[in-house]
Amino acid sequence: MELGNEMNTQNNTEYLLELDHITRRFIAVTALKDVCLKLRHGEVLAVCGENGAGKSTLMKILSGSDSFGNYEGTIRVNGQPMRFRSTKDAENAGIEMIYQEISLHLDLTVAENLFMGALPMTKWRTIDWRRMNREAKDYLQMVGLQVDPRQKVKTLSTSQQQLLSIARAIAKKPKILVLDEPTSALTQTETENLLRVIRDLKAKQVSCLYISHKMDEIFQIADRVTVLRDGEHIADYPTSEVTPEKLVEDMVGRKIEVLYPKQQAVIGEEILRVENMCVPHPYMKDRNIVDDVSFSLRRGEILGIAGLVGAGRSELLNAIFKAQEEGVSGKVWLEGKRIDKLSLRGIKEAGIGYLTEDRKRNGFIAGATIRENTVLASLDKIVHGGLINHRAEKQYANDYFQKLSVKAPDIETPMIHLSGGNQQKVVLAKWMMTDLKVMFFDEPTRGIDVGAKTEIYRLISDMANQGIGIIMVSSEMPELIAMCDRFLVLSNGKFRAELTGENVSQEKIMKAATLVEEN
Amino acid sequence: MNNNVKKSKLSQLLQRFDQLGIVLVLIVLMVAVGFKNSVFFSRDNIINVLRSTSYVFIIGIAITYVLITGGLDLSVGSVMAMAGIISAMTAQTGASLLISILIGLLFGFVVGLINGILVVKLNIPALIVTLGMMYIVDGLVLIVTKGSPVYPLPESFKALGQGSVLGIPNIVLIALALALIGAFVLRNTRYGRCVYSIGGNRETARLAGINVNLTQMSVYVLASVSASLAGILMAGRLNSAQPSAGNGYELTVVAAVIIGGTSMFGGSGSIFGTLLGALLMTVIENALLLMKISAYWQSLIVGIIIIFAVGLDQYRRKKYGIG
Repeated sequence: MELGNEMNTQNNTEYLLELDHITRRFIAVTALKDVCLKLRHGEVLAVCGENGAGKSTLMKILSGSDSFGNYEGTIRVNGQPMRFRSTKDAENAGIEMIYQEISLHLDLTVAENLFMGALPMTKWRTIDWRRMNREAKDYLQMVGLQVDPRQKVKTLSTSQQQLLSIARAIAKKPKILVLDEPTSALTQTETENLLRVIRDLKAKQVSCLYISHKMDEIFQIADRVTVLRDGEHIADYPTSEVTPEKLVEDMVGRKIEVLYPKQQAVIGEEILRVENMCVPHPYMKDRNIVDDVSFSLRRGEILGIAGLVGAGRSELLNAIFKAQEEGVSGKVWLEGKRIDKLSLRGIKEAGIGYLTEDRKRNGFIAGATIRENTVLASLDKIVHGGLINHRAEKQYANDYFQKLSVKAPDIETPMIHLSGGNQQKVVLAKWMMTDLKVMFFDEPTRGIDVGAKTEIYRLISDMANQGIGIIMVSSEMPELIAMCDRFLVLSNGKFRAELTGENVSQEKIMKAATLVEEN
Repeated sequence: MNNNVKKSKLSQLLQRFDQLGIVLVLIVLMVAVGFKNSVFFSRDNIINVLRSTSYVFIIGIAITYVLITGGLDLSVGSVMAMAGIISAMTAQTGASLLISILIGLLFGFVVGLINGILVVKLNIPALIVTLGMMYIVDGLVLIVTKGSPVYPLPESFKALGQGSVLGIPNIVLIALALALIGAFVLRNTRYGRCVYSIGGNRETARLAGINVNLTQMSVYVLASVSASLAGILMAGRLNSAQPSAGNGYELTVVAAVIIGGTSMFGGSGSIFGTLLGALLMTVIENALLLMKISAYWQSLIVGIIIIFAVGLDQYRRKKYGIG
């Protein structure tokens, strides 16, 4: 397409992108029903909806990665009907995706990743390394990422990688940028930086589809917002004419009275005690990522561990649970009994459960069913003399399926077909089925929509009420503050502050978390 | 609309029945061959096919376990030959049948344990470990036999390999028994569940308190011991332990397992599928023979079928988002 031609059509149509009555059926479910969506030139349109609302399916169709392309309806770019058969088709139409899950080549450099597929060439048809690294710097600067273009991507932190994927998308000079939960791995400052980048792009007439659950971001960045629910188009609003409460109501289809349904549990005697926990840093020699941390946890208490990404929060939990063993030192008591010499299995059997940060990587088995995942950590309860009691297994799985109101046809549904929130519920069911005394939650609501979040909070609160001691790690300050009775703030692996009750605020936690000690 | 309904019914069948493609191929092949040459459905030929299938299948059962955990074992062919030789030599010294067999199986156990330890503890890819082991055991075979077969064997040994009950060869009965046990264990025991879980997501299984290391090691032991058993039975059948007894078996077995729908990526698979896969491999061979098509064509046809079967598996995965 010639440039002049393009300009021409741009002026002729009001909308850059139109999705017209899109329907996508799968065998058992209809993921999208007659969805319409319109994006103007240089507009930021937020798409929000619970997980399972059909956002991912919509994005798949839009990116050309829905390989079977069996959708009904029309996609128009600049008024021209389009049908994307591959991601390449979508890219050619000027649509660039930034996925929630990072898809970078870890063993290649930052610059190579940036220009993957369109490497700058010399006139000899070889790669122009110098130009590539120079141009890379510009894009990195644009997203506020301070790394060397020649650095390998695997040395970057998660949030740096996320920023790099954004830079990579921008480097392709898209007309439409689609961002799927781009800030779930970013810190506050990085998020603000990203929003600034989007504003810059907007000024350059680039349109954005911004998928997010985070109300504050939606209201900061979006011009309009479209709400999807159960695969249907529910509402469109200019952001200036709607409130967060109304949006949440539309998303879940009912009023959410309390976002954080925390009931104050009776806090009992000490159940877990950790002393002098040290975990070596995975990359830096002679440094600890968890450095001499001691604390104790009581029955029914929810203890929040706050800190920035990389402060050693997950590593602390990993070390206690023995998910990581190498080089770990420190003493742990559960109900007065030393457990730090036990194996992971012993620790699990002693009554500790651990909902990990990345459920896809190590929280559930994607190809297995809800039933198989539910009983995975409690095989002892359904196995007698080595044999599985299938009836008992189904009974347990069904009980938790109903108790946690997992949204799926039945317990034989493979996990991969569930939305993030429902997957998380099954992971939680897996741990609830073990005889818990202490439960660790690492980012329990990451990538989960508002409705499911509230349900997870309620479950956490219920567990505390049953006298289970709970440790919760989260980057989302509001949820941490609302849910926890007490807070430990970690920074650079060290225990910086302990905060309790009324006087806790985001500011206080952030202050302690960003405190960097001079070495 | 009507078309849609039909399509979804076919889709459902495709989704539910893992081995649909292979069953179709098998039926078409058998009907075609039977039509052309009635010998195919004769009693002798059927027994013959079943017997040949059994060697592949006995090893295939264990390799199904290995593949479900996401592993691979290429050393089974060599182990098969070496175990036959060791058992035969032990029997020649006048040791009892039981002792001879046990010593052959013990060899398999040791090789499997070494494979398992190297894969699990040293974290070397299974492909490399078992490829190395294949060469090592091959070397042992040649060093021990200097390339010549070990024979003759005592009567009892021969009787085991050549005997039959009610007209059905011992080996077929043994394979059948092992299949029933193998399928039962996979479906109904804690161990079976652990095997699937590890292949499905090793880290998730580990964090759920499953002993992933022990389970992973055990499947390599199972593979080597099964290969040894097949090797011993084959030696009995031929009345001699051949240095070349297991040549090519490692790939035939893996092919049979994959054709049977077990995923190379771990997490899914079944013994029934492996049975069909092993059967298909033998039937092709047998059919080409009966149809007087040159044996040279065999590899080519097997290759096409493997790609077809695995391609179908991939298509299903993609379409239904399995695994």
